Amino acid sequence: MSGTAIPGLHLTQIGRENFLLEPSRALDISNGDELLVKILQRLQEARAGTLYYDLADLPLIEPLYYRWLNMLARACRAVNVAMVCIRMQPTAAFALSRYMQGAPDFAVGQGVKQ
Amino acid sequence: MAKQTKNTSKILIELLKLQIGHVSQRIEQEGQMVFGGSNLLEPDEIADLSVQFLQLLVALLESRDPDDDASPQFHALEMFFNNLSKQILVRGGRIEDLVRYIQFMQHTLIDALGEDQNTKVEDARAILLYLSSLFNELVLAVFQAYLSEKERTIWAQEAELRETSTPITEIWDGVLTLPIIGTLDSSRTMIVMEALLNRIASERANAVVMDLTGVKNIDSQVSHHLIQMVRAIQLMGAEAILTGIRPEIARALTSLNIDLGNVTTRATLSDGLKEAFRRMDIQVSHKAA
Repeated sequence: MSGTAIPGLHLTQIGRENFLLEPSRALDISNGDELLVKILQRLQEARAGTLYYDLADLPLIEPLYYRWLNMLARACRAVNVAMVCIRMQPTAAFALSRYMQGAPDFAVGQGVKQ
Repeated sequence: MAKQTKNTSKILIELLKLQIGHVSQRIEQEGQMVFGGSNLLEPDEIADLSVQFLQLLVALLESRDPDDDASPQFHALEMFFNNLSKQILVRGGRIEDLVRYIQFMQHTLIDALGEDQNTKVEDARAILLYLSSLFNELVLAVFQAYLSEKERTIWAQEAELRETSTPITEIWDGVLTLPIIGTLDSSRTMIVMEALLNRIASERANAVVMDLTGVKNIDSQVSHHLIQMVRAIQLMGAEAILTGIRPEIARALTSLNIDLGNVTTRATLSDGLKEAFRRMDIQVSHKAA
């Protein structure tokens, strides 16, 4: 396993083609484009197949953050990486289900599939 | 309360001192008839009631202003009846009996006044007015206690009903079932969703089978809540399977333009469970003969 530091995010390779992305409180999604490029660069270098986005520490997902997740998922798809949001909190799922329209661009799971 | 003179409280205290034994005995006898027959109160408790009531009444009459319904003495008397009311209700008694018992207390005091030959007409009138006003306040206190106790009971029953009307069961490792019966309004949806999403997280459930057999009709608000629940389940990484959709519900969903394209549906709860097992690679088969 190896870790890469991107401001506000920690990207770790787990297994051959899988990456785990853990956002911290310092994550500033107003710099979304910059972050996105850095993430995709790292994923492409390692020929990643799946990106697991860990939402365990996020009690709430507001519309802005939801847009960021969708944008990242679409960008990942463009470089042939599937994005799976994992460990969404009940409070976040409840809030998100109230305002989201249609299906999200990312897949969801309970954890990393081995 | 009706204004009384210093004289009326003095006369009442004298009257009670002279006839305390008789008054106390009559109130106790009435208490035995009202509460003793139905075993609501023990004989000792009934005897104590009568003594306590008279002690509190004398304390009120001896206070600086017996008319002051904000005085500690009046409050003590009020609380005495308030507690008695709760005690009687908790033990299954009727509020009517308690009110009759309080009225009997008042009549006993009026009878005692009638037996006293020395009281002047104007004093007797003032005492009657005072007693009437005092006992009205006490009956109100009893009704207030009764209402708050009833409200508490209703609230507890509602909470219990909410709890039992949405039984979430882990029917298999990682498979939850939720039969929905009745109407899904906003507040119930919140309660169901909170309980369901927490269960998905704690049990790490992979599939939730929501059975709608008990849903008789559906409107746009209910269908919206249903879709919201399905979305939230899916966001938690679990599969949502809807079962038991009646033809009339299906027709209503169609006319409400609700698209169940992204939702797995099965005819019966049994089919829904089979689908959940299939997705989890669980095989349930008859034991080989």
